[in-house]
Amino acid sequence: MDYEVLMPQFSDTMERGKIVKWLKREGEYVEKGETIAEIEAEKAIMELQSFRSGILKKILHGENEEVKVGKVIAIIEITDKPVQTKETPPKEEPKKMPEEKPKETFVKEERKELKEVKKSMAPGFASPYAKVLAKELDLDISEFQKMGKIPSPAHAKDIEKFLTERYFTPRALEIIKDYQIDPKDVISYFGERKVNEDMLITYIENNEIPKKISVSFTQKTLIENLTKSIQNPQYRITDKINASFIPYIEGITYTHWFIKIIGDSMMYFDRLRAKLKGDSYLISPNANVGVAVGIGEELYNVVIKRVNKKTLKEISEELQTLRQKAQESRLSPEDIKGATLTISNLGMFGIMQFDAILPFEQACIVAIGAIDENKTFYATFTFDHRIVNGLTGALFVKHVKERFTDKAYLKLLSKGAK
Amino acid sequence: MLYREALNLALDHAMESDPSVVILGEDVGFYGGNYKVTDGLYAKYGESRVIDTPIAENSIVGTAIGMAMVGLRPVAEIMTANFAMLAMDQIVNNMAKLRYMSGGKISLPMVVRMPQGVAKQLAAQHSQSLEHMFASVPGIYVFCASDSITAYHGLLSAIRFDDPVIFLEHVALYAWDFPFEYLKNFDPFSARIVKEGKDVTVVSYLKSLHDTLKACEQLEKEGISCEVIDLVSLRPIDFETIYNSVKKTKRLVVVHEAPKSLGLGAEISARISEELFYYLDAPPLRVCGEEVPIPYNRNLELMSIPTPEKIYRAILDWGKQNGL
Amino acid sequence: MSQTLAEKFYFLMKLGRELELRAKEEYLKGNISGFLHLDIGQEAVSVGAVVGFGKGDLFCPYREHVLALARGMDPKLIIAELFGKYTGVSKGKGGSMHLYEPKLDFYGGNAIVGAHLSHAVGAAYARKLRNEKAGVLVTFGDGATNAGSFFEAVNLAVVWKVPVLFLCINNYYAIGTRIDRVSAFKDTYLKVKDYMPAVQVDGMDVFAVYEAVIEAKKYLEEYGKPYYIEAITYRFEGHSMADKGDYRSPRELEMFKKKDPIENLKKVALEKGWLTQEQVNLMDSKIAQIVEESVEFALSSPEPPPEELYRDIYCGSVCEDIGV
Repeated sequence: MDYEVLMPQFSDTMERGKIVKWLKREGEYVEKGETIAEIEAEKAIMELQSFRSGILKKILHGENEEVKVGKVIAIIEITDKPVQTKETPPKEEPKKMPEEKPKETFVKEERKELKEVKKSMAPGFASPYAKVLAKELDLDISEFQKMGKIPSPAHAKDIEKFLTERYFTPRALEIIKDYQIDPKDVISYFGERKVNEDMLITYIENNEIPKKISVSFTQKTLIENLTKSIQNPQYRITDKINASFIPYIEGITYTHWFIKIIGDSMMYFDRLRAKLKGDSYLISPNANVGVAVGIGEELYNVVIKRVNKKTLKEISEELQTLRQKAQESRLSPEDIKGATLTISNLGMFGIMQFDAILPFEQACIVAIGAIDENKTFYATFTFDHRIVNGLTGALFVKHVKERFTDKAYLKLLSKGAK
Repeated sequence: MLYREALNLALDHAMESDPSVVILGEDVGFYGGNYKVTDGLYAKYGESRVIDTPIAENSIVGTAIGMAMVGLRPVAEIMTANFAMLAMDQIVNNMAKLRYMSGGKISLPMVVRMPQGVAKQLAAQHSQSLEHMFASVPGIYVFCASDSITAYHGLLSAIRFDDPVIFLEHVALYAWDFPFEYLKNFDPFSARIVKEGKDVTVVSYLKSLHDTLKACEQLEKEGISCEVIDLVSLRPIDFETIYNSVKKTKRLVVVHEAPKSLGLGAEISARISEELFYYLDAPPLRVCGEEVPIPYNRNLELMSIPTPEKIYRAILDWGKQNGL
Repeated sequence: MSQTLAEKFYFLMKLGRELELRAKEEYLKGNISGFLHLDIGQEAVSVGAVVGFGKGDLFCPYREHVLALARGMDPKLIIAELFGKYTGVSKGKGGSMHLYEPKLDFYGGNAIVGAHLSHAVGAAYARKLRNEKAGVLVTFGDGATNAGSFFEAVNLAVVWKVPVLFLCINNYYAIGTRIDRVSAFKDTYLKVKDYMPAVQVDGMDVFAVYEAVIEAKKYLEEYGKPYYIEAITYRFEGHSMADKGDYRSPRELEMFKKKDPIENLKKVALEKGWLTQEQVNLMDSKIAQIVEESVEFALSSPEPPPEELYRDIYCGSVCEDIGV
């Protein structure tokens, strides 16, 4: 006679339990009420007692295994203690296992046919909003309801549908929504004629109607921060840098080199890794470099952390991932914070020289121009004067410049590029 | 982070930073709380700050009021909202009134925490949702925690307020694991838009919020886009957020576990009808508990409260009937 | 006399023990849910008191399986109720904490600590008004003696001069909080000794409980006034299934387990020749059979039909002979 030991439900919210320890081994005799295992559920360790006396015939789930409540975890063969009498044990029906119910799934009922439940009323009824909409359009709902062209009660969608059919082609109605044009104005402009796409575009051109695009949340933050940043005291240093010693390595662009070289240089200047917070400078132990990435019309300053500890290859891979994330709008707050210096490389579009606006709370932004036929380029460093003074700024630019021609250093970097 | 761990963390941080914060309630100390919310605090802060009380709810709240009157910041735990009915005199006649009656001379910086709602088969005296009883009393704030973030930040703000707060937790959520992060500007009075949508505004809180989100996921597949709002504060209710959403969607649904009659859904629907009548494209819908005591049997129990399936079905049918 | 009594006690206590052990097993299997409070270790009090009291109304808190059994409730109906089945004594709507059977003068099954104490006093008043002399037995834990309602009920019973036997089942713990941490008296009878006759008995000895109750019952019948018995006992299990009970020292538990009321009764009865080993074996196998049948009955019973959700909320009838 076998008795199934199930993963117990110690509490109402318990769905699974972990077997921490088996206190009995297979083949061992277990007394009713004896603890046979320790089970962890909801961060508490509970003791599992045996409800039958017998031999622990089989352990089905080992230690550290997580098992769903109600599953068989061991089998006890019900017997009397080996040495005792031969009395037959009380007869027992095999227990039914509680049926496993999929807990987290969504049980959809059979879909009722809904046509019959759809409300239908005498002409003249409409939702408050539908009435407001109709009034704006000078539309007599009940008149059209009597004609059977608008259902009763009428809702916003019915009015819109009616309008499309009566005054606008579907495409024209879409444009009306895009441009947030009041349909009433269009109807009065064209009279009672049905308006198609071309007519509507003419209407838009003739009336100088701007297309409204709402500012995205990230863009809003950017605008706010740039506005705040521009109020801080700043100065700029422009210099020409020689890039002729940068070797060509597949998969590594100038941007990657700039990030690495500038990041390494930052390690020699505490203030380039500093943020100004109240009365103190918070110096980061690593060089965290922001990179301006344009995706469509949006600008993202993604951050590569600990540039000083990373190889060119790692930097290139990370930038690729971040760019990808930006494209899919799934950058996390971690991906865009922590930089003290940002690099903006418009040089890749052939721009010779420009200067950039310092991102909020950062010490420096480097605006990198295009590399000319002599393999040199202009870089404009914009500093926050409260953090980096003129002397430090100049020394930093000089340091960066020298690094670009330090062959031993560049060779070392090349090794980490593959 | 588990919901109960977030609550524990809030209590811990509050006690750590302010020696005037004390906890009192049944089994909160040595035992660690019946839902393990106060686990470890007794060992850390000692029995003078984590106070085990007898089973005497009216006096738990009553003594907490006394403590608060003279400068402590007590956090009273009532084992379940069902038992808070024994403390209604202190809550309604005293906690909510003392400041007003004293012409503003007395303030009560205190919190009364309690779980409510249906867990699993705890039967009629242990399963009620009673938020509307507290939320109908001027003079107290009523906050509720739907996940670990609102649990932590909501409880911490409640403790730091100089006014009395009823802090509602849901008994079924204690062992739920939610994502957690520290927020800088958490405002317990602001409702949260937990999911954006354009066709229907669905307002909920506590566990119903998660059932609603599940239902909305399915509704999305039927082409119905729901904007889901978590109320966070039940008194006062952040109507501004609801109004803005309904102005956009033109439709309101309220989901809660408490019975429909005279529940929070009634208040919200009424306000929407008062303020936004001409914006409405459909009558408001309430998906709520049945008008019954909660039964023990699991099937009947599930029948008595909204489930994801019921919420889905109700919104779908209502949408079809009302031009969605 | 002792022979028949010993047999009766052993049968009821052992049946209670085995039925509850099985309930525990079925809970762990998921067949029973919610709060399940076991009387294991305390059977001598439940059985001794109910048998000794005989006729009269019985009011209990939520740990009432054995009290119900001793009062004559069919174990099948109890187990079916625990399973939430339609055939259960409360149609599956009450569960473990809410067994009621007015036909047996058994009035539950209350899950609000102390609430039923005033019910008992009210019932005794009503019986008195109708010249019914049997009196009322109300049981409660040590935790309840700290609740306001306890003092209110005790006072009223004295003022109204009603025959209520207050039986405190003192197991030293209110869930996880030991009595001396929250109660002014460790011996609860001291709280009322100036109001009414109040005694303390060994709750691990069924005969001691029985005799004390017989004594009390005589007093009730003779004087029509309240009486207080405190039975010192111990629960071997946690407060409910969710509680490990590990706030108690293993030594303490061992000490009380040595006083196991059932084992001790068996030993004494065998020694004194009140029972033979054969009789015991016979009863044991009968009990095993009853337990098995009860579980089978519950398993094969139907779930309550959906419409049951809306039944029993109001009785809907009108009293016709009020004569207004």
